[in-house]
Amino acid sequence: MKGRKQIIFLSLALFCILAFPLFPVRAQDITLSEEAQACLKCHAKRGIVKKFDNGESVAAYVDPENFKVSAHNSLSCSHCHVDFSVDKHPERRFRSKEQYKIKSSLVCSRCHKDAQVRANPVHAGLFKEGKIHICANCHGSHSIMRVAGGRKFTNEEQYCLSCHGHAASLTFKNGETLPLAIDKSVLEGSVHNKLSCSDCHYGFSSEGHPQRNFRSRREYTLASSETCRRCHFDKYTKTMESIHYTMLSQGNLKAPVCTDCHGNHGIQAGRVEKALSGKRCRKCHENIFTIYASSVHGKALMDENNQDVPICVDCHMAHDIRNPLTLEYHERIPELCSNCHANKAIVGKYGLSTDVVKTYLSDFHGVTLGFYKKQREALYKPARPIAVCTDCHGTHNIVSSKGTDAVLLKANLVKRCRQCHPNATKNFPDTWLSHYEPSIKTAPLVFIVNLMYKIFIPVLVIGLFLQILLHIWRYAVNR
Amino acid sequence: MRENRKVKEERIRRFSIARILEHWLAIITFGTLVATGLSQRFFSLDISQWLILKLGGIDNVRLIHRYTGVVFMTATLLHIIIATVGVIIRKWQPSMVITKNDFTDAIHDIRYYLGMENAPAQCDRYSYKQKFEYWGILTGGLLMIGTGLILWFPTFVVRFLPGELIPAAKALHSNEALVIVLLIAVWHIYNSIFSPEVFPLDTSIFTGYISRERMLREHPIELSRIEGTPAGEMSGHGLKDLQEMKAEEPPS
Repeated sequence: MKGRKQIIFLSLALFCILAFPLFPVRAQDITLSEEAQACLKCHAKRGIVKKFDNGESVAAYVDPENFKVSAHNSLSCSHCHVDFSVDKHPERRFRSKEQYKIKSSLVCSRCHKDAQVRANPVHAGLFKEGKIHICANCHGSHSIMRVAGGRKFTNEEQYCLSCHGHAASLTFKNGETLPLAIDKSVLEGSVHNKLSCSDCHYGFSSEGHPQRNFRSRREYTLASSETCRRCHFDKYTKTMESIHYTMLSQGNLKAPVCTDCHGNHGIQAGRVEKALSGKRCRKCHENIFTIYASSVHGKALMDENNQDVPICVDCHMAHDIRNPLTLEYHERIPELCSNCHANKAIVGKYGLSTDVVKTYLSDFHGVTLGFYKKQREALYKPARPIAVCTDCHGTHNIVSSKGTDAVLLKANLVKRCRQCHPNATKNFPDTWLSHYEPSIKTAPLVFIVNLMYKIFIPVLVIGLFLQILLHIWRYAVNR
Repeated sequence: MRENRKVKEERIRRFSIARILEHWLAIITFGTLVATGLSQRFFSLDISQWLILKLGGIDNVRLIHRYTGVVFMTATLLHIIIATVGVIIRKWQPSMVITKNDFTDAIHDIRYYLGMENAPAQCDRYSYKQKFEYWGILTGGLLMIGTGLILWFPTFVVRFLPGELIPAAKALHSNEALVIVLLIAVWHIYNSIFSPEVFPLDTSIFTGYISRERMLREHPIELSRIEGTPAGEMSGHGLKDLQEMKAEEPPS
């Protein structure tokens, strides 16, 4: 029986130990120092205001509930507010709220020695800048909490923003700085608003705040963008085929990475309005964008916000942006243009013919191009450049083939022909039937020749076969 | 065209070595031009793509086509010059020249096929069918040479002539090519291979000799001239007579 009692006793004791943390220390249970209680008789009331010389003011109100749960709840007021006591209440003057805060911060160092404060990696980064930092800006004053634990944050974001909501910055080895203050509204407006800070800033948490050393702000950006691939691996692998990645791997640190186009904390969905998507490219490719903006496509987008026209990424791709100066890219151009120009649903609205691609592909240049592509695959044979859409129509400066622009296009055509046919004269562009199927109006000579043979060939073949049949029939009859 | 030929019992010399070689050259150049040309015209067909890739790509095919064209052009022009000179200096008779008889022969033959005549038309060295083919191929060949050169040097041609000439020349070149190919594939191949009169092959252009029997049947006027028999006496020979002759003679 004695053993049984022991077991009951032990389990009760164990229950008490385990259950103890379940009952948190409540504010009411804490007894403040007598001095604090005396001070709070007045300072727990709202309306007491301390005015500064410059007209600013600060409320001298202390929330007793907050103070009771703060890390400093066992201290008396005079531990920090030196010279003040139940008997003494000296009058002091400060120029501004800022000066008051700086002076107040000095009080902290009475207990939190410099060496201890600097040991924290977050502080080390701050102190390196040599600025005066006000402890209370991050840690609060009467409601001060233990940095790790103690204070309850509903999410990580709140925890991080308790510091990063304030102006702080990171200084790199080369002297560049990066502001570390994050605007909460920007985070909330981003497409990543469901993510926690450490989802991207891995390694950082309420427990760890690793110290990292980057030579420059750019180096930091490059390293940070590596985090995107943890979720967006498909896009990341696509970018590895891009000219930007190639440039980066060749040592050009200016080549853009994820965050350069998409931004960071305020990241938006990838599929945005066309005009906005072009702005991303414009950041670096200003000249080309200006030329594009005056093209038939660019004008429609800028003036009418037409969503049918192509913007940079429609031809160059968003992630696997290839070098557009290679022959492989050049050969893909008819395919790129045909995405819209062979699609009646898109170009039909503007009275444009969808035969343009077909007529190109069935003529000399198009046929040659088709074979060059196949030869590359089958014979690994390097090919010569052959005229594609952009060679006559232009690339970023593409103009309309109707109206006044058409005259310009035609006038410039012979110059473009001469790039491959150096002896071309002014008649030479007429050898191309301008995407028209030959008709009596557009190309009477070609039309008549084709028509004649359309009649002549069947007549000839039928005549010859009739002769043969008659001959065989006579031979068979005579036997 | 050459008139001197030896008469040997049953075989009669019909073509000289020069003509035989010329035909071989025609086979080779024509075959090459058709293969490399049609595969460009019908570029989307699998066989065209296969051939073009086998020949090392479209540029190679175009080069082969053009240089074979040069050989074909040289052969054609030489043929015309030699024939013209030969006829002018009276070494040869103008046996290929189309005469009134060719038209009457054609009508006669059609009547014969329909059972309205007893015997086919009596032909000289070349029948109206052979002349039709010869002139068809020759004029077609000249057209191909002309348009082919235009397509080879478009920038030069367009310096003097309107640009539309180039697509027109392309239309002519590819359509006329079809005409010639059909003429050869249907008419020539029938007449020299599948026709029951020559099956399995008319060997005269390869051996240079033709049997007297076929001469009698197909070219009786020429035969009578060779053998010195007056043409009038030969005129009675029709197909029926030949069949009777065949029955008497042992098969060779």
